[in-house]
Amino acid sequence: MKVLLTSSYVPFIKGGGTAIVEWLDHKLVEHGHEVETIFLPFVESMDNMFNQMLSYRLLDMTESADRMIAFRPPAYLLRHPHKILWFIHHFRAFYDLWDSGYCGIPKTTKNHAFRRRLMDADTVGLEESKHIFTNSQIVSNRLMEFNQIDSEVLYPPVLDPERFYCESYEPTVVYICRMEEHKRQHLLLEAMRYTKSNAKLVLAGKSHSASYPRKLKLNAIKHRLTNKVEIMDRWISEDEKSQLLARCSLAAYLPFEEDSYGYPSLEAQHSRKAVLTTTDSGGVLELVRDGDNGLITEPNPQAIAEAIDRTVQTLGFAKQMGEQGPHRIAELGIQWDHTIDRLMAA
Amino acid sequence: MGSHDRQVNGRMKILVVNNMVPFIRGGAEKLATNLVRHLGRYGHDAELLRIPFQWDPAERMLDEMLACRMMQVYNVDRIIGLKFPAYLIPHPHKTLWVVHQFRQAYDLWESGHSYLSHDRHGQHLRNCITEADNECFTDSQNISVISRVVKERMQRFNRVPSEVLYPPLDDAERFECEAHDNYIFCGGRINSMKRQHLLIQAMSHCRSNIKLHVAGPPDNVEDGMELERQVKKAGLQDRVILEFGFLDRERVIQLVNRSLACACVPFDEDYGYVTLEAFYAGKAVITTRDAGGVLEFVTEGETGTITNATPEALGEAITRFSEDRPATISLGAAARDDIHDRNINWPSTVKKLVA
Repeated sequence: MKVLLTSSYVPFIKGGGTAIVEWLDHKLVEHGHEVETIFLPFVESMDNMFNQMLSYRLLDMTESADRMIAFRPPAYLLRHPHKILWFIHHFRAFYDLWDSGYCGIPKTTKNHAFRRRLMDADTVGLEESKHIFTNSQIVSNRLMEFNQIDSEVLYPPVLDPERFYCESYEPTVVYICRMEEHKRQHLLLEAMRYTKSNAKLVLAGKSHSASYPRKLKLNAIKHRLTNKVEIMDRWISEDEKSQLLARCSLAAYLPFEEDSYGYPSLEAQHSRKAVLTTTDSGGVLELVRDGDNGLITEPNPQAIAEAIDRTVQTLGFAKQMGEQGPHRIAELGIQWDHTIDRLMAA
Repeated sequence: MGSHDRQVNGRMKILVVNNMVPFIRGGAEKLATNLVRHLGRYGHDAELLRIPFQWDPAERMLDEMLACRMMQVYNVDRIIGLKFPAYLIPHPHKTLWVVHQFRQAYDLWESGHSYLSHDRHGQHLRNCITEADNECFTDSQNISVISRVVKERMQRFNRVPSEVLYPPLDDAERFECEAHDNYIFCGGRINSMKRQHLLIQAMSHCRSNIKLHVAGPPDNVEDGMELERQVKKAGLQDRVILEFGFLDRERVIQLVNRSLACACVPFDEDYGYVTLEAFYAGKAVITTRDAGGVLEFVTEGETGTITNATPEALGEAITRFSEDRPATISLGAAARDDIHDRNINWPSTVKKLVA
């Protein structure tokens, strides 16, 4: 079958939103389909958002392929009679974050109207779709709450999970992820002030700005943590990543209100490692069950420190939790054959 | 985000913008990916943005032009636009390297080969395209084109000056003269505009025992069948070899490198990679007066021969090339010198484009 994958992106920025598309492309080809992927630029700017959305709407993809699978908004505004959505998030500032205090948009009459028109446009694109999949229950709930639209959760697998393996359970916590404020590496660093065990921490990942890693490094020095904490603020290769995961006891993933479980947690579970997360991490909580395949703590340094100590000081605990990882992945149906069956059947 | 600042060390984020038709790849797509790769090799971050473009029915083009003009590209220091309408995407620092304009609105319209009608409606669409082009050219900092043909068209229709910057081959060093076997080679895509049929007909007028080897992918099945029919009809099965399909690069290189000479007889081509390949391999080229971009390389009696686009004239040229082998071989040697003198390479191309 000829399949068109469409999404929006910001040039030169790679992340989970581009990976899900590229990986599906790769897997569909492996399954014998002809695939073309189109990324179009988009930026959430109130000055010209509707113009940009209109530019998507003006492009008619009808004759190009048997079906179109659209991802990040506003890709679903592209026209195609057999449109499938794998919806990964709204423009959250105008949806769930609007009333949260994390949205900097002034609540003027004009902006309220802007928000309503955006929702209208979204709903049109969403309703045209033959079937809507999402990457998490949270995103499905938001679609129901804000657009009154039903959807099916289809958890995204990682590409080639077999490259992850488990070698040992050294007393190390790793956090391998883009280094950004909302991923909260600082919270974990802070927790290291309170640990009593011999646990070490590795923060690894590239940042978009120089200031956040600098702040982390300064804090490590200020609190005399440099012998316990290693900060690798650079691009981490896939090999390095799987090695770090292979030898640790805990893999942290502490984003604030994330849309989905995030690839870092899934990669940890494939490596038979427990995931350390917090009660406010959003989609991560759909994967992790406290004390089973990971630990869920309050989002404060002391609670996190306790969880780290408990893991490295209780004999066999890290291994016991880590080994639940593959079972949990199977239980949630996170595997490519299932993903492709569903996407191509709809 | 939103920064267009050039970084201090000169490393830039450069977005190459091109059209695409889903599931179709051709020469322009290859040029775009090569450009991205070479920008990266010379120390820039480069990415390719592909905008879907389907110009049929013609009215649809207005939507597609508007779509391009309303897109917003952030986090990019400059863009390099290759084709209409993708190059209409706004950006404060835009360089163009025009592969070709939308010819249906320009030279093909004038010569009656366009699908745009000549009535008020067609005229209106044509004006929209011309105006969009004119505005885009005014907004661009730097305009290069891939050949003199494209330069002349833009000068004539849009009164815009531009610099010719020939697209380099990606593997020029693999072309070298290995032998002078007894055949004339004609490679590349096969269709009625490339006029391989003229060469087959020419073989009926050729008095020597030389062979013609045609190799490449037919655009559609009929194009290939038509050539087979002509070979059979003229009883040329022993003299003409047809090799259809996407050939391995290795195979193409071998066929060029071992030929006596090459032939390239398209109608008004914008550019011609196959001519460059022949020249790098030290092969003289047979072409026609109406071949377009090929004529920017081939000089009569120096690096090849230029004939009328008739079977008789081409047959005569093939006979001459075959009978006076020493002369043909020395034309080839001159072709190789000529292409090396032109200095068509990626380092200087990239340097000019980001200047």
